[in-house]
Amino acid sequence: MVAGPDVAIEVSGLRMRYGTKEVLDGVDFAVHRGEVVVLLGPNGAGKTTTIEILEGFRLPSGGGVRVLGEDPAQAGEAWRAEVGVVLQSWRDHGRWTVRELVGHYGEYYRPYATAERARPYPPDELLDRVGLAPQADQQVKKLSGGQRRRLDVAIGIVGRPRLLFLDEPTAGFDPVARRDFHDLIHRLSDLEDTTILLTTHDLAEAERLADRILILDGGRIVADGSAEQLARQVAGHTEVRWTSGGQRHVHATEDGAAFVRELFARFGEDVSELEVTRTTLEDTYLAMVARSDARRREDEVVPSHPEAVR
Amino acid sequence: MNATTNAARAGARRGWIEFRNSMRAPEDVVYYVIGAAVFVAVMWFNRDNDVDGAGISSALLIFPGVLAFNTMFAASYGLATAVATEREDGTLLRAKSVPHGMRGYVVGQTTRVTLEVVFSLLLVTVPATLLVPGLWGSAGAGGLALMVAVLLLGLVACVPIGFAVGSVFRSPRAVGGWGMLVIAGLVFVSGVFFPISVIPGWAQVVGQLTPMYWMGLGLRQALLPDSVVAIEIGESWRTLEMFGVLGLWAAVGAVLAPVLLRRMARRESGSVVQAGREKQLQRV
Repeated sequence: MVAGPDVAIEVSGLRMRYGTKEVLDGVDFAVHRGEVVVLLGPNGAGKTTTIEILEGFRLPSGGGVRVLGEDPAQAGEAWRAEVGVVLQSWRDHGRWTVRELVGHYGEYYRPYATAERARPYPPDELLDRVGLAPQADQQVKKLSGGQRRRLDVAIGIVGRPRLLFLDEPTAGFDPVARRDFHDLIHRLSDLEDTTILLTTHDLAEAERLADRILILDGGRIVADGSAEQLARQVAGHTEVRWTSGGQRHVHATEDGAAFVRELFARFGEDVSELEVTRTTLEDTYLAMVARSDARRREDEVVPSHPEAVR
Repeated sequence: MNATTNAARAGARRGWIEFRNSMRAPEDVVYYVIGAAVFVAVMWFNRDNDVDGAGISSALLIFPGVLAFNTMFAASYGLATAVATEREDGTLLRAKSVPHGMRGYVVGQTTRVTLEVVFSLLLVTVPATLLVPGLWGSAGAGGLALMVAVLLLGLVACVPIGFAVGSVFRSPRAVGGWGMLVIAGLVFVSGVFFPISVIPGWAQVVGQLTPMYWMGLGLRQALLPDSVVAIEIGESWRTLEMFGVLGLWAAVGAVLAPVLLRRMARRESGSVVQAGREKQLQRV
């Protein structure tokens, strides 16, 4: 496996087993420099396990992982300085003020500053960016859930990492906080060229943020592409509803425009109450996961290879 | 500045901030003040109570023991509780996620504990000096220097114990329950609050394995009249053994604690902290 200079993450044949349970069963994917990739999947699909392996917090049972050209399990502190981790929100550092905490974690990155990349971010500038400037002197334990989460993001990016991992960053956000967070991710990606890998359960969020979406299910990547590409992989990705002859009709089609053209050619003015709906990411996601479920059931019922009999 | 020095410096600042935060938290301050008040009260009530065969009051005999106990309690038990708490609440994982963060964390905790020990010793010493007659009567400049040396070496011996215990237990509640029993046992066998000769022989043997006994002994040598040596084991201050045992604890700790800390840090991840949190919520 040779990682090109533009590849930030390369994963091949990644396996993870807890006891007899196979959580990751040969995961392959790559993330390019500057890409924003969203990892989707049902609960227990192994999203968090995958991210923790990439962060270097967990040892895989097998397979190859390169993150910024190094094996995260062996990588040193200089590698650590290039990787930002947004942790789940806990209750740590409750007595610290917001500014002190961001300032403190920034300190660790100071020796890694270069002429072209000044680091860490000055605390006040960073707090302004994540919308926590008014809370700068507040104690961390007095922040609301959404503010606390933005603080976690601030600490994750204070060292201006080249690669950022976020595990369900917007869980518990209100819509305004969510919108602000999305803007922040866009800015990081556009202005800083930060490579970002995040997990979420929010499909609208995935669609807004992702250059590319990976769906992890049953320990494997079952889909890999942009939201549009994924939709195209699911049959009948446009739904057309109309009324003609006093009757309501529904038809799923690959090409909505062609179908509607034909519809008018055949029925003309008789067509009313026309609705054309593109498949949402949610439909795509549900279809993909259902497909992977069906495949798994098939494997269980009719063992397709000898190993599966055991 | 290289990255390790930088992290140590960040850690020292971290320790100072944590200590200052503690001084601003009413619950912490009340805890320190009540702890000190109990010891000062015990000394005050025993100011005229003479120890058999030592020629001094019980108050004077207790005082070096209080210094030894406070140092050991803050540096071992207090530190272990803090490490277990911060392992559970995600502080350690956060430290692990930044370059040289664990180094900063360890330096930070060591700094905080040192400041806490100094503060808690002052909190006992200042009122005791005013209330207990003759507290410093026998300690010359040499005695004071020995006191500082014993306290420093004792701290260096006890801090690794705190890190080691804190990194073995998963939660502060586990440290708390067993820890208190161990502390009570240590107080008994190490004879810091009463003459070692009144406890059974086996307990004396166990006591002499603990850094607390040797800190108590060294501090009594530093602060009490030489005649008190009559109630010590072998009627000797055993200065060389005292420095030897404390030094051995410090050396073993300095080797063992980083190994245990690294082992613990390796195991930390987001889902481990999350699982710990869920377990805790179930119990409450």
